[in-house]
Amino acid sequence: MSGSLVRRLILLDLYLMRWPVAGALVAGAVSIAVMPLGGVPAYVGGVSLICVIVILNIVLVMTFIVQEKKDKVQVFMLSLPVSTTQYLAAKLLANAIAFAGSWIALTVGVVAVIDVSALPNGSLPFLVTLLVYLLMYYCVLLATGVASDRTGWHATVITIGNVSVNFIIPWLLSQPSIYLNRTGPVAVWTGDVVAVLAVEAVVAVGAVGLGLYLRSRRTDFV
Amino acid sequence: MTERVIEVAGVEKAYRFFRLGSVSLELEAGQILGFVGPNGAGKSTLMRILMGMIRHDRGTVRVLGHPIPEEQASAKRDIGFVSEDMRLHGNVTLAWYMKFVASIYAGWDAAYADVLLRRFNLHADQDIKALSHGERVKATLLLALARRPRLLLLDEPTTGLDPVARHEILTELMAVVEDERRAILFSSHNTQDVEQISDQITFIDRGRIIDSSDKETFIDRWRRLHLDVPAGVTLPALKDVVETRTSGRMAIITTRAYSPGTESIYERAGAHVREVQRMTLEEIFVANVMSNRKEQAA
Repeated sequence: MSGSLVRRLILLDLYLMRWPVAGALVAGAVSIAVMPLGGVPAYVGGVSLICVIVILNIVLVMTFIVQEKKDKVQVFMLSLPVSTTQYLAAKLLANAIAFAGSWIALTVGVVAVIDVSALPNGSLPFLVTLLVYLLMYYCVLLATGVASDRTGWHATVITIGNVSVNFIIPWLLSQPSIYLNRTGPVAVWTGDVVAVLAVEAVVAVGAVGLGLYLRSRRTDFV
Repeated sequence: MTERVIEVAGVEKAYRFFRLGSVSLELEAGQILGFVGPNGAGKSTLMRILMGMIRHDRGTVRVLGHPIPEEQASAKRDIGFVSEDMRLHGNVTLAWYMKFVASIYAGWDAAYADVLLRRFNLHADQDIKALSHGERVKATLLLALARRPRLLLLDEPTTGLDPVARHEILTELMAVVEDERRAILFSSHNTQDVEQISDQITFIDRGRIIDSSDKETFIDRWRRLHLDVPAGVTLPALKDVVETRTSGRMAIITTRAYSPGTESIYERAGAHVREVQRMTLEEIFVANVMSNRKEQAA
């Protein structure tokens, strides 16, 4: 029964998250759609795509993990025949499915649009490393939301995450392997690019692991 | 043999500024245990330990035969838990919640849920966020009761409710325990509510259980004696006297172990017993808490 209940809890959360996810997908699709126009529309589309993903990240974690704890909705959920571990697993999986699903859809969308449009395929390594950075940011905020009830920690991670995007973009573009190939017709996945992607993946997995470890050390769930 | 639905032995839980100290408690099927304590006494902490939401530091907890927190999921199949601070997602309706809970519990009683909807004057199609505090408590109680659980854990469910809503809830709870296989642990700092529905009462203060007995025994044991004390008469020091107040030649004695012999002792000492007063549960509770605090401080 508990296994099927975990599945129900995941479906429940996905149902509750349907509007933010749908909104992000629509806004993200519009952002991607204007990119092939080039020039200012491409720039606006790129910036708004980043904003959509960052906003979705914050809304999903802060509303459906942090706020649910604060509002004591989880007291009701934990009155159901589910253990605290199973409940936490359901919350994490539902949130990750909602975000990762949207992220994958938007990433595939932007790659496809660049591939078929006149936009240079050489920009793909830059875009993908940036999008993976946003995925890493989500993982860090998710881990913080799971591990801590302190608003100060959440605000700190959100502030650093948002501000860091302004630094990561010029930093990525300043890397010779990205800068020199960005206008080329072919995506060049150099060792530097792969190394950045690997670091982002390690930080993302490490953050979630650390968040779960810190959560497991706490003896009070509510 | 009567089934024990709650067995708590030597449970301890320490926080920085609060300590639940070696609590032991038992509840049998068919009983309603009123768990009374001031704010911050440890009632909610113990309730949450029983639900597996808080892990205790020491001691053992078994609920419906299941060790907690290890088998909390199995135990919770037969527990209905409602707490005053419990919330539901605001953007869905009560009907949606009823359908969700019904899909989890095979024993969901849809007909009874409809009865409760009418009795509590709730509207199934109303969004949760539009419910008042009282309606929200009644909604969570409906979701717990219609599961037909063997054990109800109610953590201050009547706090903040108007008298009519309190009456509706208490009436429903009294109906629930007509089924003798079911048990209720009901925590509150409102002694009137507890007195109305409980047959067993346990007082808790500052993380310690200070007294526990059936309701009738409490009411019988605790008395207030009004005495005339002539000049030169010294009242005997009885060990179960928890409070002595004097004003001129009058004295008011509060005892936790009254018997007709108590009056004789004072009469023999030269005092005259003018009146022996029964105490309300609230008076017993306050006197009990204050005397225990005094003993702790001594």
